[in-house]
Amino acid sequence: MFGREGLSFPTCFVQSLATLFLSQLMASSLNPCVEEITNITYRCMELNLSGVPAEIPPSTQNLDLSFNPLESLTSNYFSAVPALRFLDLTRCHIQTIEDYAFEDLHNLLTLILTANPLWHLGSKAFYSLTSLQKLVAVEDNISSLADLPIGHLQTLQELNVAKNNVDSLKLPKYFSNLTFLQFLSLKSNKISSISIGDLHVLQGEKGRNLTLVLSMNDIKYIQLGSFEGIHLHELSLRACFENTSVMKACIQGLAGLQVNRLVLGEFRNIARVEDFSNGLLDGLCQVQLQEFVFICFQRFDNCTDTLFDCLVNTSTVRLVDIYLNQVSAVPTASRIHQLECRTCKFSEVPALKLSSFKELRVLRITKSKYLTGFRQKFMDLPNLEVLDLSENRLSFIQCCSFYLDETPKLKHLNLSFNSVISMSGGLPLNELVSLDFQHSKLDSLGTVPVFLSLGKLIYLDISYTNTHVESQYTFCGLDSLQVLKMAGNSFKDNNLGDSFTKLTQLLTLDVSSCKLIQVSLSTFSSLGKLQKLNISHNKLLTFDHSAYKPLQALTVLDFSSNQLTVLTEKALESLPSSLVHLDLSYNLLDCSCNHLSFLKWAKEHGELLWSTELMVCNSPEHLKNVSMLNFDLSSCQLSAVLVAVYVGTALTGVVFLFLIYKYYFNLYYGLVLLSGCRRYADRDDTYDAFVIHSSKDIEWVRKELVETLEKGVPPFQLCLHYRDFTPGVPVASNIIHEGFLSSRKVIAVISNHFMESKWCSFEFEIAQSWQFVEGRAGIILIVLEDVDKVLLRRKLGLSRYLKRNTYLEWKDREISRHLFWRQLRTALLDGKTEPGRGGN
Amino acid sequence: MKMLNVAILILVLFYPSLSTKWPTHPVCKENDLEIYYKSCDPVQDFALSIDGCSNILMNTFNIRAATVLRHNIKELSIKVNLILNGKSILEYSQKLCEPNGRRFIFCGKKKGEHIYYEGPVTLGIHEIPQGEYTVSVMLYNEDHLTIACADFTIKKK
Repeated sequence: MFGREGLSFPTCFVQSLATLFLSQLMASSLNPCVEEITNITYRCMELNLSGVPAEIPPSTQNLDLSFNPLESLTSNYFSAVPALRFLDLTRCHIQTIEDYAFEDLHNLLTLILTANPLWHLGSKAFYSLTSLQKLVAVEDNISSLADLPIGHLQTLQELNVAKNNVDSLKLPKYFSNLTFLQFLSLKSNKISSISIGDLHVLQGEKGRNLTLVLSMNDIKYIQLGSFEGIHLHELSLRACFENTSVMKACIQGLAGLQVNRLVLGEFRNIARVEDFSNGLLDGLCQVQLQEFVFICFQRFDNCTDTLFDCLVNTSTVRLVDIYLNQVSAVPTASRIHQLECRTCKFSEVPALKLSSFKELRVLRITKSKYLTGFRQKFMDLPNLEVLDLSENRLSFIQCCSFYLDETPKLKHLNLSFNSVISMSGGLPLNELVSLDFQHSKLDSLGTVPVFLSLGKLIYLDISYTNTHVESQYTFCGLDSLQVLKMAGNSFKDNNLGDSFTKLTQLLTLDVSSCKLIQVSLSTFSSLGKLQKLNISHNKLLTFDHSAYKPLQALTVLDFSSNQLTVLTEKALESLPSSLVHLDLSYNLLDCSCNHLSFLKWAKEHGELLWSTELMVCNSPEHLKNVSMLNFDLSSCQLSAVLVAVYVGTALTGVVFLFLIYKYYFNLYYGLVLLSGCRRYADRDDTYDAFVIHSSKDIEWVRKELVETLEKGVPPFQLCLHYRDFTPGVPVASNIIHEGFLSSRKVIAVISNHFMESKWCSFEFEIAQSWQFVEGRAGIILIVLEDVDKVLLRRKLGLSRYLKRNTYLEWKDREISRHLFWRQLRTALLDGKTEPGRGGN
Repeated sequence: MKMLNVAILILVLFYPSLSTKWPTHPVCKENDLEIYYKSCDPVQDFALSIDGCSNILMNTFNIRAATVLRHNIKELSIKVNLILNGKSILEYSQKLCEPNGRRFIFCGKKKGEHIYYEGPVTLGIHEIPQGEYTVSVMLYNEDHLTIACADFTIKKK
């Protein structure tokens, strides 16, 4: 058994291997390319394809076939994809491009042929590319520009033939057809000399928009006059010269050139020119320059260079990565408007030397880790508008009245990303429009008002400057301020307080990461114009609607990364109608059903809320980290069926109670009948009640009492003297026999007439004594009207009885009547039996 | 049949890692210092050599490196991670290429282009501490796509 398995294992392995590769092969043949945009963009990089895959739809506009072994492009190669606008054929081992290879690609804008060992290009290879704007033929084994059959590509804007074997700059005649050409790169070719006539096709204004890159050609010689009468947009000559003297001679060969931007220099790892000897750039005196860029030049013999000598008429000079630690001599007539020193080696701001550039408008000295000191002051620079000293390691005191009081037009000052800046004496820069101190440690800001004279300042950035705002006068004087960024600082008591009351023009305020725990009611009271507020990364627990109410112009509110649990209904109502972006992510949101209105609101305002996927519930526990917008609101609502059941039950109950109330007597009577109670069966109760009343009240008795009780349900049988007394029998006997002995109860109708009647008094007295003999409550008193108290007092027995017993009062009002009848019926029902049985 | 399934499963589990394994190349092999590297880019290997390993102890030494670009490098950043016992103890990153200041010769090159860099590298440390540790180096472009990636194993006695 084991042996068999041992034997079959390699077979299995091979089988599985075959299955695997087969499946991979199938998968790749089914769906070889990555579809980035359906029917538009397909990426088929490195899939071992040998042609355009059949699955690519004809509507495709962007196709990347790079790193596939296409070998050769035959005619009509791309006829299946005629809508192409971008075609990448990088490293496709293409050796041959036959005529009409790109037939039908009338819309193609970009063709990339990087790193293909081309040895045969058909003279009509690029035919029908009538829209082509960009052709990249880097590392393509091209040895001459004349070999490229591109003369008919009149729409061409960019031609990149870097890293080929081109050995001459001689531009063929067809370049005069390429009137839209803006960029021609011949970087890293084999051009060793430039002669008169090479650039003949660019004579006059034809090269005016052209950027010509000749960097990394080993140029030994430029014939004087080669560039005579040529006007270029940009000329780049980095790392072209093997030593100082070649460089100097070649620059002299540029004489007569007119160029907007000239780029000279080397690279970090290529430094062949030994040093900057005197007169290295003298040739530039014969060149008309707008902008001069000098990049990656390491060897300066200090104070002996003549860097600026021939840059008198240049308006912009950029020195990038230059190992210059002192400013060279400045010619008196210098017209440099803009000077930038990026990653230079100054150890101190060379303010005194730089002050010789009298025309200077923009000065930038940035990104130098050696620049630490600022001791000299700028002397009389009447035109300086922009001073950028950011990303150095400057640390200085007396900012900035001492250094800058002779730069009256200064509008933009950037001292960000430096070490320590001590502010004292204020900033006497009346014209200043923007001021940036971010990430530099600022001393003494926050306690004294230093911005008093900056009435025109619009932009102020003091983010992460270690500022502690103690005084509410810190921002005094900033009457025009529109943007205040001060993230990463702190406030007194961690409360914004009244710091911003003077900033009535403010549009943008960033107070994120300021450890805030509170916002005062009056903080935003004068910020009616504020549009953007970032108060994220603080420790705010609530959104106090009354504090934020003045912000009626607010469009963006970032409240993320606080400790907010909920926005109350009032807060939701007070949110300004102009708001288009509200960020509540990274808060401690409470998704319990108590805050249903907030949850509902959040769902309805998905377009207003940003980073909604990060708006997760913090509580209750079982919903932790659930996205708030995915929260199921229905879990908070009772189901409709349940509600129907509840309502139905309640309604039924009410109806039931009402019915019981309404038919109380019928029911009770029925119950009595059913129970068959025979407690009083032995008694001969013919009547339910004997009515004692004055004959003058007979109207009421007949109309109300008899009518209601005898004809109502349950029917009561009343004993009435005018109806039920047997004739021929003495009145007293009738009263005793028919009245008291045959009736269970006695109803006395008390009125003034009652008290006047002798028969009534007699009957009442008998009733009282009868009640006493029977030993049960049998008299029901009905007081018909307001009785005469004097009369009542005379009837001593009655008045005492009324005082001690409850009685019914008749009032001619609907509610009182209802109650009256109810009470009376209850009293009468007491002891009622089934009439039939009771009779026997 | 069961056996076949198991075999397929094992193969499928290990196949991707098998396919992305690049060989370990030695850079230095001296008495007290050994350095190896291995490409951690799943797509390709790359070539690297150091001119004279003894120089590595000095401040600046020359390297030669070559690779083929799979992506454009309008911007290029380097991230170095020192790993000891599987834990990262030091991280360093820097931008090598910016569109506005192309300091190195390879800055701004496009996809498909061959890169060959020969030049000095400054480590900024004066002594390599004793022990065995890993230095992970990654180069990535403006879209955070990997340009090159290598894990160096350094053994110092």
